[in-house]
Amino acid sequence: MKLLNKLTLSITLSKLGIVLLFVIILPFIVENVASEYTNYHLKQQKEAVMKSVAWNGVNYYLEGDDSYGSYTMLKEEYISLEASPDIRLDTIETSRRLVEQDTLVYRVLSYTFQEKGKTYLLEIGKKLTSINEYNKPLQRIALYVLIGLIILSSIIDLLYTRYLLRPLQLIIKSKLIKQSFPFEKTAKPVRTSTADFKYLDSSLISLMDQIREAFEKEREFTANASHELMTPISILKSKIENMMIQEEVSEDNLQKLTELMTTVSRLSRIVNSLLMISRIENDQYLMKEEVDIKALVLEVVTEIEDRIQGKDIQVDLRLNESFLFQPCNKDLLFQLIYNLLNNAIKYNVPKGSIRITDRYTPEHRYELMISDTGIGISSADIPLIFNRFKKVHVQRSSGGYGLGLAISKTIADYHHIEIGVESELDKGTTFKLLFPISQA
Amino acid sequence: MKVLLVEDEKTLAFEIELFLKKSFYLCDLAHTAQSSLEYMSSNQYDFILLDLGLPDMDGLKLLLEAKKLNPEAAYIILTARGKTEDRIAGLDLGADDYLSKPFSLPELHSRMQAIARRKYRLNNSEVSIGEFVVDIQKRTIHHGQAEIELSRKEFDLLSYLLLHKNRPLTRMQLSEHIWGNFIEDDNESNYIDVHVKNVRKKLGAFASTEWLETIRGVGYKIRKQA
Repeated sequence: MKLLNKLTLSITLSKLGIVLLFVIILPFIVENVASEYTNYHLKQQKEAVMKSVAWNGVNYYLEGDDSYGSYTMLKEEYISLEASPDIRLDTIETSRRLVEQDTLVYRVLSYTFQEKGKTYLLEIGKKLTSINEYNKPLQRIALYVLIGLIILSSIIDLLYTRYLLRPLQLIIKSKLIKQSFPFEKTAKPVRTSTADFKYLDSSLISLMDQIREAFEKEREFTANASHELMTPISILKSKIENMMIQEEVSEDNLQKLTELMTTVSRLSRIVNSLLMISRIENDQYLMKEEVDIKALVLEVVTEIEDRIQGKDIQVDLRLNESFLFQPCNKDLLFQLIYNLLNNAIKYNVPKGSIRITDRYTPEHRYELMISDTGIGISSADIPLIFNRFKKVHVQRSSGGYGLGLAISKTIADYHHIEIGVESELDKGTTFKLLFPISQA
Repeated sequence: MKVLLVEDEKTLAFEIELFLKKSFYLCDLAHTAQSSLEYMSSNQYDFILLDLGLPDMDGLKLLLEAKKLNPEAAYIILTARGKTEDRIAGLDLGADDYLSKPFSLPELHSRMQAIARRKYRLNNSEVSIGEFVVDIQKRTIHHGQAEIELSRKEFDLLSYLLLHKNRPLTRMQLSEHIWGNFIEDDNESNYIDVHVKNVRKKLGAFASTEWLETIRGVGYKIRKQA
């Protein structure tokens, strides 16, 4: 999940949680506030009444009676004053009162006081329904306001988060998604005022620069190594060749020079093979061509025809599918198929046969198979045949340094071709090339 | 034919010069781009062999400069860089051929001859050997009126030996000429024997091929006839 989506989700969920919590506790709060306020209001009234009583005296209200009462027309509030037994009271509680045949629930303040040795009870009541009558609308309005505020703050939060995270997305897009090795020029820094993003961006840029530098160095090394190694080999070769055409050279020396030349050639082939692998791995081959695999196989077979005839080998060429492979490098693909076919000849028995077939896998990938009836490879050696420095197969190493398959593997990897091998000793070997789907 | 060899590696330059002189070319030697340009401004060459990795100038730039001074010359690029892009760039700039180091001196001679035939339209591309007449350009071989059919590689082999008449060529040199960079191991030079056997068989049906000698432990050569 993207960071932005995660943040959006968490912001939304947390705000929803707050709303839910508020909806649950709002009635309690409102009720509590209403009753606290009522208590306060009752006490205020009590103070006012007591002030009047102190000023006017109790009898001013009782007028000789035992009790005095006053209530509003709708019986929402009442005040009563009466003589009382000698108890002490100063409470506020909710209780029922009978007022003109109606039993109503009031919030009642009861207070006793003494005047001239007599105890009086003052009650001030407020009808409970009138206390709670504003609660519901109050709650509703509070809820609406809250929801409105939360929506507003969510929108602001989301917009701001989006704005805040934009540099990160730019960094991801420009530095990670769009980049493929080898990196080209120095990447542009992303503009942001967030220190963390700045740090991330500059770290990525410097990392990419370092990789590119190392890559350039390796490329340079390959070019230099190629020059440094090939020049002396070239000198050796030329010197030997010049010596060979001297007329006074003896037959014996001529043979020695030939051996020398064979050795120099082997050296140059090994160096060439290693350089080729290194060049491929360093991306120094352009991948811009489109190749008809069937035509390419035919080309290789023609090129290698004399070897096939030399060993009297039957080639069974059954390519029924057509496949245009791109992007690719034709020279490299030629080399790949050449190497495989050459092995199929080299390790074949005289008068053996080679089968070249193709098919489309159920995943619509093109597969080319080259099978021979040769000496085969033991199962223990199969994992090692593509390794460039493991010279395992004694039988197979009848000449050369086995770099052919290492090159083949490198070329296949470079083209994202899966190369596979199945083999049975003394029966034969099948090499399979599973091509990726061409990019149109 | 006049050749200018531009090569900064002195030992190698000396060997190439030696070989070219033995093959009857007139050869001048330049070790730097600067001196090569001086040679070119005062001489017109038939061939300019150009090492791309000179210390004092980019090889491709030098090629452009050289083409202004010696527009008629045939250019062969010699390089140890061996990158395909270099090869393509060199040929795009008008080089006639391209050889990667280490190359074989007989191969260089053969390439120069091929260019000479193409570029200077040498009429006399016919060579006679024994009782046979070989036309290098038309790629035919006749015995009297009868034309003998050789495969492409057999003809390549024969004409390569003919070009280096009286010089022994090893199986390695022959296979490098015929298969280029595709030779993978020493064994493969044995296929040369198969080709030679075929050539002998095909020509032997008409006349003696004793001029095509086997040199034991070395390779083959075509003996110069008295």
